[in-house]
Amino acid sequence: MKLVTHRGVSAALLLLTTGCHLLEFSPSQVAATGGARQLTAQNLARLRQQPRAAGGDTVRFVFIGDTQRFYDETAEFVRSVNRQRGIDFVLIGGDISDFGLGREMQWMHARLRRLQMPYLTVIGNHDQVGNGRAAYQAVFGPLNYSFEYGGTRFVLIDTNGREVGCNGTVPDLGWLRRELADTTRRTVVACHVPPNDNDFDQQLTPAYAAALARHPRLVLHLAAHVHRYTAKHPFHDAVPYITTYSLQKHRYHIVSVWGRREFRLETVDYGPAS
Amino acid sequence: MDQLRKVWRGAWAGLMLSLPAAAQSGGPAAGPFFVSVQVAGGTGAVAVGGGYWLAHRRLEPELLVGLLPGKLAGGRALPIVSLKATYAPRGFALGRSSDWRVTPLTVGGLVSYTVGPNLFLSSNHTGRYPAKGYYWWSSAVRVHAFVGPRLVQTAAGGWPRRRVLGAEIGTNDLYLVSWLTNRTLRLPEILTLGLTAKAGGAPADGPLADNGKP
Repeated sequence: MKLVTHRGVSAALLLLTTGCHLLEFSPSQVAATGGARQLTAQNLARLRQQPRAAGGDTVRFVFIGDTQRFYDETAEFVRSVNRQRGIDFVLIGGDISDFGLGREMQWMHARLRRLQMPYLTVIGNHDQVGNGRAAYQAVFGPLNYSFEYGGTRFVLIDTNGREVGCNGTVPDLGWLRRELADTTRRTVVACHVPPNDNDFDQQLTPAYAAALARHPRLVLHLAAHVHRYTAKHPFHDAVPYITTYSLQKHRYHIVSVWGRREFRLETVDYGPAS
Repeated sequence: MDQLRKVWRGAWAGLMLSLPAAAQSGGPAAGPFFVSVQVAGGTGAVAVGGGYWLAHRRLEPELLVGLLPGKLAGGRALPIVSLKATYAPRGFALGRSSDWRVTPLTVGGLVSYTVGPNLFLSSNHTGRYPAKGYYWWSSAVRVHAFVGPRLVQTAAGGWPRRRVLGAEIGTNDLYLVSWLTNRTLRLPEILTLGLTAKAGGAPADGPLADNGKP
Protein backbone atom coordinates (compact mmCIF):
# COMPACT_ATOMS: atom_id res chain seq x y z
CA MET A 1 0.00 0.00 0.00
CA LYS A 2 2.82 2.33 0.99
CA LEU A 3 4.56 1.57 -2.29
CA VAL A 4 1.44 2.33 -4.28
CA THR A 5 0.99 5.67 -2.48
CA HIS A 6 4.64 6.45 -3.06
CA ARG A 7 4.31 5.71 -6.75
CA GLY A 8 1.15 7.76 -6.93
CA VAL A 9 2.86 10.74 -5.33
CA SER A 10 5.86 10.37 -7.68
CA ALA A 11 3.59 10.20 -10.71
CA ALA A 12 1.65 13.25 -9.52
CA LEU A 13 4.90 15.16 -8.94
CA LEU A 14 6.20 14.17 -12.38
CA LEU A 15 2.95 15.28 -13.99
CA LEU A 16 3.09 18.54 -12.08
CA THR A 17 6.70 19.33 -13.03
CA THR A 18 6.11 18.34 -16.66
CA GLY A 19 2.97 20.47 -16.62
CA CYS A 20 4.92 23.44 -15.23
CA HIS A 21 7.44 23.16 -18.04
CA LEU A 22 4.63 22.99 -20.59
CA LEU A 23 2.70 25.90 -19.08
CA GLU A 24 3.91 28.52 -21.52
CA PHE A 25 2.34 31.95 -21.42
CA SER A 26 3.72 33.14 -24.74
CA PRO A 27 6.61 32.12 -27.02
CA SER A 28 7.88 35.67 -26.36
CA GLN A 29 8.39 34.98 -22.66
CA VAL A 30 12.07 35.18 -21.78
CA ALA A 31 12.62 31.86 -20.03
CA ALA A 32 10.59 28.68 -19.76
CA THR A 33 8.89 28.00 -16.43
CA GLY A 34 11.60 26.26 -14.44
CA GLY A 35 14.05 26.62 -17.35
CA ALA A 36 17.74 27.52 -17.21
CA ARG A 37 18.73 31.11 -16.45
CA GLN A 38 21.97 33.11 -16.33
CA LEU A 39 24.03 30.39 -17.98
CA THR A 40 27.00 32.69 -18.69
CA ALA A 41 27.53 33.33 -14.97
CA GLN A 42 27.08 29.63 -14.19
CA ASN A 43 29.55 28.53 -16.86
CA LEU A 44 32.11 31.16 -15.83
CA ALA A 45 31.88 29.93 -12.22
CA ARG A 46 32.40 26.38 -13.47
CA LEU A 47 35.36 27.50 -15.59
CA ARG A 48 37.03 29.19 -12.62
CA GLN A 49 36.69 26.06 -10.49
CA GLN A 50 37.90 23.48 -12.98
CA PRO A 51 41.60 22.57 -13.33
CA ARG A 52 43.27 23.90 -16.46
CA ALA A 53 42.77 21.39 -19.27
CA ALA A 54 45.61 22.47 -21.54
CA GLY A 55 49.27 22.41 -20.39
CA GLY A 56 51.72 25.29 -19.78
CA ASP A 57 50.40 28.76 -20.55
CA THR A 58 48.20 27.41 -23.35
CA VAL A 59 44.46 28.01 -23.35
CA ARG A 60 42.60 25.71 -25.75
CA PHE A 61 38.95 26.11 -26.68
CA VAL A 62 36.50 24.95 -29.31
CA PHE A 63 34.99 27.68 -31.48
CA ILE A 64 31.77 27.19 -33.45
CA GLY A 65 28.99 29.50 -34.63
CA ASP A 66 25.35 29.52 -35.64
CA THR A 67 23.77 26.57 -33.84
CA GLN A 68 20.37 27.96 -34.90
CA ARG A 69 17.77 25.20 -35.40
CA PHE A 70 20.51 22.57 -35.93
CA TYR A 71 19.51 20.41 -32.95
CA ASP A 72 20.46 17.08 -34.57
CA GLU A 73 23.86 18.48 -35.55
CA THR A 74 24.37 19.97 -32.07
CA ALA A 75 23.99 16.53 -30.50
CA GLU A 76 26.64 15.18 -32.93
CA PHE A 77 28.86 18.19 -32.24
CA VAL A 78 28.68 17.56 -28.48
CA ARG A 79 29.63 13.89 -28.95
CA SER A 80 32.63 14.89 -31.07
CA VAL A 81 33.85 17.62 -28.71
CA ASN A 82 33.58 15.28 -25.72
CA ARG A 83 36.08 12.99 -27.43
CA GLN A 84 38.69 15.77 -27.65
CA ARG A 85 41.36 16.07 -24.96
CA GLY A 86 42.74 19.19 -23.29
CA ILE A 87 39.83 21.54 -24.11
CA ASP A 88 39.19 24.29 -21.53
CA PHE A 89 35.81 25.46 -22.83
CA VAL A 90 33.56 25.80 -25.87
CA LEU A 91 32.76 29.19 -27.37
CA ILE A 92 29.65 29.64 -29.51
CA GLY A 93 29.75 32.66 -31.78
CA GLY A 94 26.09 33.64 -31.72
CA ASP A 95 22.81 32.72 -33.42
CA ILE A 96 22.12 30.15 -30.77
CA SER A 97 18.44 30.43 -31.72
CA ASP A 98 16.82 30.84 -35.13
CA PHE A 99 13.70 32.82 -34.17
CA GLY A 100 14.95 34.63 -31.05
CA LEU A 101 12.66 32.55 -28.81
CA GLY A 102 13.53 31.67 -25.21
CA ARG A 103 12.43 28.09 -25.66
CA GLU A 104 14.87 27.58 -28.55
CA MET A 105 17.66 28.69 -26.20
CA GLN A 106 16.45 26.09 -23.67
CA TRP A 107 16.42 23.38 -26.38
CA MET A 108 19.99 24.27 -27.28
CA HIS A 109 21.07 24.28 -23.64
CA ALA A 110 19.49 20.84 -23.13
CA ARG A 111 21.99 19.56 -25.73
CA LEU A 112 25.02 21.72 -24.89
CA ARG A 113 24.80 20.91 -21.18
CA ARG A 114 26.05 17.42 -22.10
CA LEU A 115 29.45 18.95 -22.94
CA GLN A 116 32.09 17.83 -20.47
CA MET A 117 33.45 21.38 -20.31
CA PRO A 118 31.69 24.74 -19.74
CA TYR A 119 30.37 26.59 -22.78
CA LEU A 120 30.12 30.33 -23.35
CA THR A 121 28.18 32.30 -25.92
CA VAL A 122 28.06 35.69 -27.60
CA ILE A 123 24.77 37.05 -28.94
CA GLY A 124 23.92 36.75 -32.66
CA ASN A 125 21.48 38.69 -34.82
CA HIS A 126 18.91 35.86 -34.80
CA ASP A 127 18.99 35.90 -31.00
CA GLN A 128 17.71 39.50 -31.13
CA VAL A 129 14.62 38.99 -33.30
CA GLY A 130 11.35 39.91 -31.58
CA ASN A 131 11.82 39.71 -27.83
CA GLY A 132 15.03 37.70 -28.30
CA ARG A 133 17.40 40.22 -26.73
CA ALA A 134 15.51 39.97 -23.44
CA ALA A 135 15.38 36.17 -23.77
CA TYR A 136 19.15 35.99 -24.31
CA GLN A 137 19.74 38.24 -21.30
CA ALA A 138 17.55 36.01 -19.13
CA VAL A 139 18.81 32.64 -20.35
CA PHE A 140 22.49 33.48 -20.93
CA GLY A 141 23.31 36.93 -19.54
CA PRO A 142 24.94 40.21 -20.60
CA LEU A 143 25.28 41.08 -24.30
CA ASN A 144 28.81 42.43 -23.74
CA TYR A 145 31.05 40.72 -21.21
CA SER A 146 34.64 39.70 -20.63
CA PHE A 147 36.50 37.16 -18.53
CA GLU A 148 40.03 36.07 -17.80
CA TYR A 149 41.24 32.54 -18.01
CA GLY A 150 44.77 31.13 -18.13
CA GLY A 151 46.38 34.55 -18.44
CA THR A 152 44.14 35.40 -21.39
CA ARG A 153 41.46 38.05 -21.52
CA PHE A 154 38.38 37.14 -23.56
CA VAL A 155 36.21 40.06 -24.72
CA LEU A 156 32.78 39.12 -26.07
CA ILE A 157 30.84 41.87 -27.76
CA ASP A 158 27.46 42.35 -29.46
CA THR A 159 28.22 43.47 -33.04
CA ASN A 160 24.73 42.97 -34.52
CA GLY A 161 24.43 46.59 -35.65
CA ARG A 162 21.73 45.97 -38.23
CA GLU A 163 19.35 44.79 -35.50
CA VAL A 164 19.24 48.37 -34.20
CA GLY A 165 19.13 49.87 -37.69
CA CYS A 166 22.90 50.64 -37.77
CA ASN A 167 22.31 53.64 -35.50
CA GLY A 168 25.89 53.93 -34.28
CA THR A 169 25.31 52.28 -30.87
CA VAL A 170 26.17 48.62 -31.64
CA PRO A 171 28.94 47.58 -31.11
CA ASP A 172 29.50 49.68 -28.00
CA LEU A 173 32.94 51.12 -28.83
CA GLY A 174 33.29 52.91 -25.49
CA TRP A 175 32.87 49.59 -23.68
CA LEU A 176 35.28 47.85 -26.08
CA ARG A 177 37.99 50.48 -25.58
CA ARG A 178 37.68 50.17 -21.80
CA GLU A 179 37.95 46.38 -22.05
CA LEU A 180 41.06 46.72 -24.24
CA ALA A 181 42.69 49.35 -22.00
CA ASP A 182 44.78 46.73 -20.18
CA THR A 183 47.38 45.95 -22.84
CA THR A 184 49.54 43.75 -20.60
CA ARG A 185 47.35 40.66 -21.01
CA ARG A 186 46.99 38.36 -23.99
CA THR A 187 43.54 39.14 -25.43
CA VAL A 188 40.99 37.47 -27.72
CA VAL A 189 37.96 39.37 -29.05
CA ALA A 190 34.91 37.37 -30.21
CA CYS A 191 31.59 38.44 -31.69
CA HIS A 192 28.93 37.32 -34.13
CA VAL A 193 28.96 39.67 -37.15
CA PRO A 194 32.55 40.28 -38.37
CA PRO A 195 33.48 43.96 -38.94
CA ASN A 196 34.11 43.41 -42.65
CA ASP A 197 30.51 42.18 -43.17
CA ASN A 198 27.58 44.22 -44.52
CA ASP A 199 25.55 43.54 -41.38
CA PHE A 200 28.15 45.33 -39.22
CA ASP A 201 27.43 49.04 -38.65
CA GLN A 202 29.71 50.47 -41.37
CA GLN A 203 30.16 53.85 -39.66
CA LEU A 204 31.77 52.06 -36.70
CA THR A 205 34.04 49.71 -38.67
CA PRO A 206 37.18 51.93 -38.83
CA ALA A 207 37.06 52.80 -35.11
CA TYR A 208 36.38 49.16 -34.17
CA ALA A 209 39.34 47.91 -36.20
CA ALA A 210 41.56 50.70 -34.85
CA ALA A 211 40.70 49.83 -31.23
CA LEU A 212 41.78 46.24 -31.87
CA ALA A 213 44.91 47.15 -33.87
CA ARG A 214 46.17 49.37 -31.03
CA HIS A 215 46.33 46.40 -28.63
CA PRO A 216 49.86 44.93 -28.73
CA ARG A 217 48.81 41.55 -27.34
CA LEU A 218 45.61 40.98 -29.32
CA VAL A 219 45.90 37.36 -30.48
CA LEU A 220 42.97 37.19 -32.87
CA HIS A 221 39.42 38.30 -33.63
CA LEU A 222 36.79 35.56 -33.87
CA ALA A 223 33.37 35.81 -35.51
CA ALA A 224 30.64 33.64 -37.04
CA HIS A 225 27.51 34.73 -39.01
CA VAL A 226 28.89 33.85 -42.48
CA HIS A 227 28.68 30.07 -41.76
CA ARG A 228 32.11 29.36 -43.24
CA TYR A 229 35.78 29.52 -42.41
CA THR A 230 37.61 32.66 -43.47
CA ALA A 231 40.98 33.98 -42.26
CA LYS A 232 42.04 37.45 -43.34
CA HIS A 233 43.78 40.66 -42.39
CA PRO A 234 41.01 42.87 -43.86
CA PHE A 235 42.31 46.04 -42.22
CA HIS A 236 45.97 45.43 -43.16
CA ASP A 237 47.11 45.46 -39.56
CA ALA A 238 48.51 42.80 -37.24
CA VAL A 239 45.11 41.42 -36.21
CA PRO A 240 43.97 38.15 -37.84
CA TYR A 241 40.19 38.06 -38.37
CA ILE A 242 38.77 34.55 -38.41
CA THR A 243 35.23 33.34 -39.02
CA THR A 244 34.07 29.81 -38.21
CA TYR A 245 31.63 27.23 -39.54
CA SER A 246 27.96 26.92 -38.68
CA LEU A 247 26.98 23.69 -36.96
CA GLN A 248 25.42 22.46 -40.20
CA LYS A 249 28.89 22.09 -41.74
CA HIS A 250 29.90 19.27 -39.35
CA ARG A 251 33.15 21.08 -38.70
CA TYR A 252 34.48 23.17 -35.86
CA HIS A 253 37.67 24.87 -34.84
CA ILE A 254 39.99 24.20 -31.94
CA VAL A 255 41.85 27.39 -31.07
CA SER A 256 45.02 27.25 -28.93
CA VAL A 257 46.57 30.49 -27.68
CA TRP A 258 49.85 30.80 -25.83
CA GLY A 259 52.96 32.99 -25.44
CA ARG A 260 52.75 36.68 -26.20
CA ARG A 261 50.17 36.44 -28.99
CA GLU A 262 50.64 33.09 -30.62
CA PHE A 263 47.81 30.87 -31.75
CA ARG A 264 47.08 27.69 -33.64
CA LEU A 265 43.86 26.85 -35.43
CA GLU A 266 42.82 23.23 -35.98
CA THR A 267 39.77 22.05 -37.90
CA VAL A 268 37.81 19.02 -36.75
CA ASP A 269 35.61 17.40 -39.38
CA TYR A 270 33.16 14.94 -37.84
CA GLY A 271 30.79 13.91 -40.57
CA PRO A 272 29.23 14.73 -43.88
CA ALA A 273 28.23 18.38 -44.34
CA SER A 274 24.48 18.64 -44.77
CA MET B 1 1.84 52.03 -35.42
CA ASP B 2 -1.49 52.71 -37.17
CA GLN B 3 -1.83 49.01 -37.69
CA LEU B 4 -1.32 48.34 -33.99
CA ARG B 5 -3.87 50.95 -33.05
CA LYS B 6 -6.39 49.34 -35.39
CA VAL B 7 -5.81 45.92 -33.87
CA TRP B 8 -6.20 47.39 -30.38
CA ARG B 9 -9.38 49.22 -31.26
CA GLY B 10 -10.82 46.13 -32.92
CA ALA B 11 -9.97 43.96 -29.95
CA TRP B 12 -11.54 46.32 -27.42
CA ALA B 13 -14.63 46.85 -29.57
CA GLY B 14 -15.08 43.08 -29.80
CA LEU B 15 -14.68 42.64 -26.08
CA MET B 16 -17.06 45.46 -25.22
CA LEU B 17 -19.69 44.07 -27.59
CA SER B 18 -19.45 40.56 -26.21
CA LEU B 19 -19.29 41.28 -22.48
CA PRO B 20 -22.63 43.09 -21.83
CA ALA B 21 -24.54 40.51 -23.86
CA ALA B 22 -23.05 37.70 -21.85
CA ALA B 23 -23.27 39.41 -18.49
CA GLN B 24 -27.01 40.08 -18.63
CA SER B 25 -28.63 37.82 -16.10
CA GLY B 26 -31.30 35.97 -17.98
CA GLY B 27 -32.38 38.96 -20.02
CA PRO B 28 -34.40 38.05 -23.05
CA ALA B 29 -31.98 39.73 -25.43
CA ALA B 30 -29.01 37.65 -24.29
CA GLY B 31 -27.80 35.27 -26.96
CA PRO B 32 -25.53 32.31 -26.66
CA PHE B 33 -22.53 34.51 -25.89
CA PHE B 34 -19.86 33.45 -23.47
CA VAL B 35 -17.02 35.11 -21.61
CA SER B 36 -13.69 33.37 -21.28
CA VAL B 37 -10.50 33.47 -19.26
CA GLN B 38 -7.37 31.73 -20.43
CA VAL B 39 -4.15 31.08 -18.53
CA ALA B 40 -1.05 30.39 -20.67
CA GLY B 41 -1.22 28.49 -23.95
CA GLY B 42 0.27 31.30 -26.04
CA THR B 43 -2.25 34.06 -25.24
CA GLY B 44 -0.37 35.65 -22.33
CA ALA B 45 -0.15 34.96 -18.60
CA VAL B 46 -3.86 35.69 -18.40
CA ALA B 47 -6.19 36.56 -21.25
CA VAL B 48 -9.85 37.56 -21.05
CA GLY B 49 -12.42 37.81 -23.79
CA GLY B 50 -15.51 36.24 -25.15
CA GLY B 51 -17.17 34.61 -28.09
CA TYR B 52 -20.31 33.11 -29.52
CA TRP B 53 -21.43 29.49 -29.57
CA LEU B 54 -22.13 28.17 -33.05
CA ALA B 55 -23.17 24.82 -34.52
CA HIS B 56 -25.11 23.60 -31.45
CA ARG B 57 -22.34 24.86 -29.18
CA ARG B 58 -19.75 22.69 -30.82
CA LEU B 59 -17.87 25.54 -32.43
CA GLU B 60 -16.55 28.39 -30.30
CA PRO B 61 -15.01 31.38 -32.06
CA GLU B 62 -13.67 33.90 -29.56
CA LEU B 63 -11.51 36.95 -29.10
CA LEU B 64 -8.97 37.13 -26.27
CA VAL B 65 -6.93 40.03 -24.97
CA GLY B 66 -4.00 38.92 -22.84
CA LEU B 67 -0.93 40.28 -21.21
CA LEU B 68 2.58 38.97 -20.78
CA PRO B 69 3.74 40.84 -17.64
CA GLY B 70 7.06 42.66 -17.67
CA LYS B 71 8.66 40.09 -15.40
CA LEU B 72 7.98 37.33 -17.93
CA ALA B 73 8.74 39.53 -20.94
CA GLY B 74 12.08 40.64 -19.50
CA GLY B 75 11.19 44.34 -19.60
CA ARG B 76 8.05 46.05 -20.76
CA ALA B 77 4.75 44.10 -20.54
CA LEU B 78 3.56 42.79 -23.90
CA PRO B 79 -0.17 42.81 -24.80
CA ILE B 80 -1.35 39.84 -26.90
CA VAL B 81 -4.55 39.86 -28.98
CA SER B 82 -5.77 36.44 -30.14
CA LEU B 83 -8.50 35.14 -32.40
CA LYS B 84 -9.32 31.60 -31.36
CA ALA B 85 -11.69 28.86 -32.49
CA THR B 86 -12.38 25.58 -30.68
CA TYR B 87 -14.33 22.59 -31.94
CA ALA B 88 -15.79 20.53 -29.08
CA PRO B 89 -17.80 17.36 -29.78
CA ARG B 90 -20.65 16.57 -27.35
CA GLY B 91 -18.69 14.02 -25.37
CA PHE B 92 -20.38 11.91 -22.71
CA ALA B 93 -22.37 12.51 -19.54
CA LEU B 94 -20.82 11.96 -16.14
CA GLY B 95 -23.10 9.66 -14.16
CA ARG B 96 -26.90 9.77 -14.25
CA SER B 97 -27.41 13.42 -13.48
CA SER B 98 -26.13 14.52 -16.88
CA ASP B 99 -25.49 18.11 -15.73
CA TRP B 100 -21.83 17.30 -16.13
CA ARG B 101 -20.29 16.20 -19.40
CA VAL B 102 -16.77 15.38 -20.48
CA THR B 103 -15.36 15.86 -23.93
CA PRO B 104 -12.08 13.95 -24.02
CA LEU B 105 -10.80 15.66 -27.14
CA THR B 106 -11.43 19.16 -28.40
CA VAL B 107 -9.39 20.64 -31.25
CA GLY B 108 -8.71 24.23 -32.06
CA GLY B 109 -6.40 26.90 -33.26
CA LEU B 110 -5.57 30.51 -32.61
CA VAL B 111 -3.75 33.35 -34.27
CA SER B 112 -2.06 35.71 -31.83
CA TYR B 113 -0.65 39.18 -32.35
CA THR B 114 1.88 40.34 -29.77
CA VAL B 115 2.33 44.10 -29.51
CA GLY B 116 5.91 45.09 -28.74
CA PRO B 117 8.63 47.53 -29.76
CA ASN B 118 10.65 44.91 -31.66
CA LEU B 119 7.76 42.76 -32.88
CA PHE B 120 6.71 43.19 -36.49
CA LEU B 121 3.79 41.97 -38.58
CA SER B 122 5.83 41.49 -41.73
CA SER B 123 9.34 40.16 -41.92
CA ASN B 124 10.35 43.08 -44.15
CA HIS B 125 10.61 45.28 -41.08
CA THR B 126 12.30 42.70 -38.89
CA GLY B 127 15.95 43.53 -38.42
CA ARG B 128 15.98 45.81 -41.48
CA TYR B 129 17.96 43.38 -43.63
CA PRO B 130 18.43 44.26 -47.30
CA ALA B 131 17.88 40.68 -48.49
CA LYS B 132 14.15 40.01 -48.84
CA GLY B 133 12.91 37.21 -46.62
CA TYR B 134 16.11 37.13 -44.51
CA TYR B 135 13.80 36.58 -41.57
CA TRP B 136 10.94 34.78 -43.32
CA TRP B 137 8.54 34.65 -40.38
CA SER B 138 6.52 37.32 -38.60
CA SER B 139 7.85 38.04 -35.13
CA ALA B 140 4.48 39.42 -33.95
CA VAL B 141 2.03 36.84 -35.34
CA ARG B 142 2.00 33.24 -34.13
CA VAL B 143 -0.30 30.45 -35.29
CA HIS B 144 -1.09 27.97 -32.56
CA ALA B 145 -2.94 24.64 -32.72
CA PHE B 146 -4.09 22.55 -29.77
CA VAL B 147 -6.08 19.55 -28.53
CA GLY B 148 -7.37 18.83 -25.05
CA PRO B 149 -10.11 17.59 -22.77
CA ARG B 150 -12.89 19.67 -21.23
CA LEU B 151 -15.50 19.47 -18.55
CA VAL B 152 -18.92 21.12 -19.13
CA GLN B 153 -21.54 21.85 -16.49
CA THR B 154 -25.04 22.99 -17.37
CA ALA B 155 -27.18 24.61 -14.69
CA ALA B 156 -30.97 24.71 -14.81
CA GLY B 157 -31.30 28.47 -14.54
CA GLY B 158 -29.59 31.80 -13.92
CA TRP B 159 -26.43 33.01 -15.54
CA PRO B 160 -24.16 31.45 -16.60
CA ARG B 161 -26.01 28.28 -17.40
CA ARG B 162 -23.14 26.65 -19.22
CA ARG B 163 -19.69 26.50 -17.69
CA VAL B 164 -16.66 25.04 -19.39
CA LEU B 165 -13.23 24.12 -17.96
CA GLY B 166 -10.62 22.94 -20.40
CA ALA B 167 -6.95 22.12 -20.80
CA GLU B 168 -5.22 22.63 -24.13
CA ILE B 169 -1.96 21.03 -25.22
CA GLY B 170 -0.55 22.51 -28.37
CA THR B 171 2.31 24.06 -30.23
CA ASN B 172 2.95 26.97 -32.57
CA ASP B 173 4.18 27.36 -36.14
CA LEU B 174 7.82 28.06 -35.25
CA TYR B 175 8.10 25.19 -32.74
CA LEU B 176 6.56 22.91 -35.35
CA VAL B 177 9.09 24.00 -38.00
CA SER B 178 11.89 23.27 -35.53
CA TRP B 179 10.44 19.83 -34.76
CA LEU B 180 9.88 18.92 -38.41
CA THR B 181 13.46 19.78 -39.33
CA ASN B 182 15.11 17.87 -36.45
CA ARG B 183 14.89 14.17 -35.72
CA THR B 184 16.21 14.56 -32.17
CA LEU B 185 13.89 17.35 -31.03
CA ARG B 186 11.34 15.34 -29.05
CA LEU B 187 7.61 16.04 -29.23
CA PRO B 188 7.27 16.94 -25.50
CA GLU B 189 9.93 19.63 -26.04
CA ILE B 190 7.70 21.60 -28.41
CA LEU B 191 4.41 21.26 -26.52
CA THR B 192 2.70 24.00 -24.52
CA LEU B 193 -0.13 23.84 -22.02
CA GLY B 194 -2.97 26.31 -21.57
CA LEU B 195 -6.01 26.33 -19.30
CA THR B 196 -9.33 27.85 -20.22
CA ALA B 197 -12.62 28.64 -18.49
CA LYS B 198 -15.75 29.79 -20.29
CA ALA B 199 -19.21 30.71 -19.08
CA GLY B 200 -22.34 31.91 -20.79
CA GLY B 201 -25.94 31.38 -21.73
CA ALA B 202 -29.18 32.37 -20.04
CA PRO B 203 -32.56 30.53 -19.72
CA ALA B 204 -33.89 32.62 -22.57
CA ASP B 205 -31.40 30.98 -24.90
CA GLY B 206 -33.49 27.81 -24.86
CA PRO B 207 -32.10 24.38 -24.08
CA LEU B 208 -28.36 24.62 -23.38
CA ALA B 209 -27.67 21.22 -21.91
CA ASP B 210 -25.94 18.97 -24.36
CA ASN B 211 -28.27 16.09 -23.53
CA GLY B 212 -31.18 18.05 -24.99
CA LYS B 213 -32.79 18.80 -21.60
CA PRO B 214 -33.64 22.44 -20.97
